[in-house]
Amino acid sequence: MSDKTINISDVVNLPLDLKEQKKALEQKSPAVVEGKVKVYDPNKDNVKNLLEMLKNKLSRQTVSSLVGCVHCGMCSESCHYALARPHDPTMTPAYKADQIRQIFKRYIDWTGRIFPWWVHAKTPKNDEDLNRLKNIVFGTCSGCRRCTLNCPMGVDTAVLVRLTRGLLTELGIVPEGVFVVDKDSWETGNQMGVSQEDYIETLEWQEEEVQAELDDPSFKIPIDKEDCDFMYTVNPREIKYDPRSIAYACKVFHMAGESWTMPSFGWDQTNFGLFSGDDKLGGYIAKNLYEAAKRLRAKRIVISECGHGYRSSRWEGYNWAKYKQDIPSESVLITLIRYINQGLIKVDPSRNPLSITYHDSCNLARSGDLTEEPRWILERICTDFREMYPNRSDNFCCTGGGGALSMVEYKPLRIEVAKVKADQLKATGAKLVCTSCHNCVDGLSDLIKHYKLDMQVVQILDLVAEALVIPEKNEKK
Amino acid sequence: MSEFLRILEDEVQIVALAFMATVYTIRLIWMFRFKAGKEITKPVGSPRVGVAYSMMNVAMPWAMESARKNLSFYVQFVIFHLGVLMAITATLILPYWPEFFESEPIVRIFQLFMGAAFAVGLIRLIRRITSPVMRLISTPDDYFSVALLTAWFAAGVFAMPNQYEVSEWPLILFFGMTTLFLIYVPFSKISHYLYYPFTRYFLGKTMGHRGVFPRKKGGEKPAGLE
Ligand code: SF4
Ligand code: SF4
Repeated sequence: MSDKTINISDVVNLPLDLKEQKKALEQKSPAVVEGKVKVYDPNKDNVKNLLEMLKNKLSRQTVSSLVGCVHCGMCSESCHYALARPHDPTMTPAYKADQIRQIFKRYIDWTGRIFPWWVHAKTPKNDEDLNRLKNIVFGTCSGCRRCTLNCPMGVDTAVLVRLTRGLLTELGIVPEGVFVVDKDSWETGNQMGVSQEDYIETLEWQEEEVQAELDDPSFKIPIDKEDCDFMYTVNPREIKYDPRSIAYACKVFHMAGESWTMPSFGWDQTNFGLFSGDDKLGGYIAKNLYEAAKRLRAKRIVISECGHGYRSSRWEGYNWAKYKQDIPSESVLITLIRYINQGLIKVDPSRNPLSITYHDSCNLARSGDLTEEPRWILERICTDFREMYPNRSDNFCCTGGGGALSMVEYKPLRIEVAKVKADQLKATGAKLVCTSCHNCVDGLSDLIKHYKLDMQVVQILDLVAEALVIPEKNEKK
Repeated sequence: MSEFLRILEDEVQIVALAFMATVYTIRLIWMFRFKAGKEITKPVGSPRVGVAYSMMNVAMPWAMESARKNLSFYVQFVIFHLGVLMAITATLILPYWPEFFESEPIVRIFQLFMGAAFAVGLIRLIRRITSPVMRLISTPDDYFSVALLTAWFAAGVFAMPNQYEVSEWPLILFFGMTTLFLIYVPFSKISHYLYYPFTRYFLGKTMGHRGVFPRKKGGEKPAGLE
């Protein structure tokens, strides 16, 4: 346990903060005016609206998870929140899912409608109850799906949490950060509100950096080039805070002699719709990406390193947008494997001599298919790779998943439960923790700082760039 | 055998079973009325393999950390459900093939399984009452369902010798509880076996499609090597 344990009622009773919503209303924010992002209206019957929306949003999959829980409690030991706070039963995944299950039982299921007390079925009474629901589903779950894979019944608690988030998002009963990111996503087409000008300027800046590094003025980051082999899409965090990762990727593509491009619009492979539970936003962002590839007649979409971005763009996005997948989309990890395997790039593992462990992003390992790929690369680009335990689809969340990093009000709890991850990292004794997700980089960096671990976070592309053997003619003079 | 016991073992059970089947049929129709989410992406793995893996999960304690780390809980789970199987089998055999229970070893085997399931039921009930986590998530239905099954196993142990000529009460109790059980089950969490194929099917289909199931342990060929 952490030295300081948070009183959970302080989290559950956090009030609904409406500063950003009021500001957006005053400024007549287009996404709000057009009704794409909902603001909270205390004069509406929000409980009734939530119940109606729930009825319409249910699918056979969600209903089976709602009726399937036997309250066996097996999931309690799989959740990092519950493990870090063994004294707090409200951290149990089943309890979190029960918050929506109770409503479902009271309003839709059989027994709960007739004998509500018998199955603990109940309807929220007022907006205060909805606010508490908000704090539970946004503040005490990172949607990591670890409990899902550990439930003997196959109940998908993370999906139920996301369903509930989506209902509350429709009512504007959301953490401030969620409101802001949703609004920015609708208005700019990317979740960090990066303007097109900034995006292009950053690419040009990185182009110059690589030109200087390779001493090759002909190096280009091609924007909106048609008929390429692939279109590369990135996380806005790369534009804003980590542009070197774009340079690394572009350098590798160049060295491999690849035909590729980046779109001027539709470049954000991340998707906040996954976190806010807003399928419409999810579909909009994903469709921008798919349409950009279509416009440029790219043969493939390559997704930069990001767990939720990969999950959204490769999997959920097509379903949200109801967009038939016409071309393959792949993680840049697969592109890298191809280059290394086919000898298109040369790497020297001795250039990464420090001990390295790998953190599996939840969205890559539990909601995606990428566990062996990063390891295959790591084995070829560093000399001291060591597994952390548990790993792959059993790994623990970086604790910054599910949009947690944008919800600052829950940070103290997030950091407290990160003790589980901190212990897991520490046990490896590694100097570097590598991950393939920008979100995990921030989540892990936060906890490494807080728990004072002697460790740094890197991504696969950082290590590949370090290990990359650049032919002499391109070596900087 | 008294006429009362004969009717309880036969006609009453058939009516109760028919009731259960009817409610379940309605329940299934209700479930199917919810639209099924569609997966329209190109697969990485096989949904069919994923479904098979997911369904078999129950028999693979090593595949799930929660079972792997709580092997005693898994053993309890197996014993409890074997007890259910034996008790249901007994309710079907006793009225129509009573000679089956003339063999003492058979009676002892049934008693052993039901007795063990009874013990597990007690352990589970105690856990549900004493563990704060379990208390928080438990509903009256959860307590009642476990208590009902536990009592049913106990009644089964006493009913197994099928000696109605000595005393009919153990059999009346067992079949009386079976009737209650059959009528109550469709409205309780005991129906989870009806939902199990659904939850595991959906999870398996998605995870199989995405190549997450069967879960990787290391050494699998990564994508991109083709
Ligand atoms: S979600 Fe699954 S593991 Fe958790 S209590 Fe329900 S049935 Fe058990
Ligand atoms: S999805 Fe992850 S964080 Fe949420 S309840 Fe399950 S295990 Fe806990």
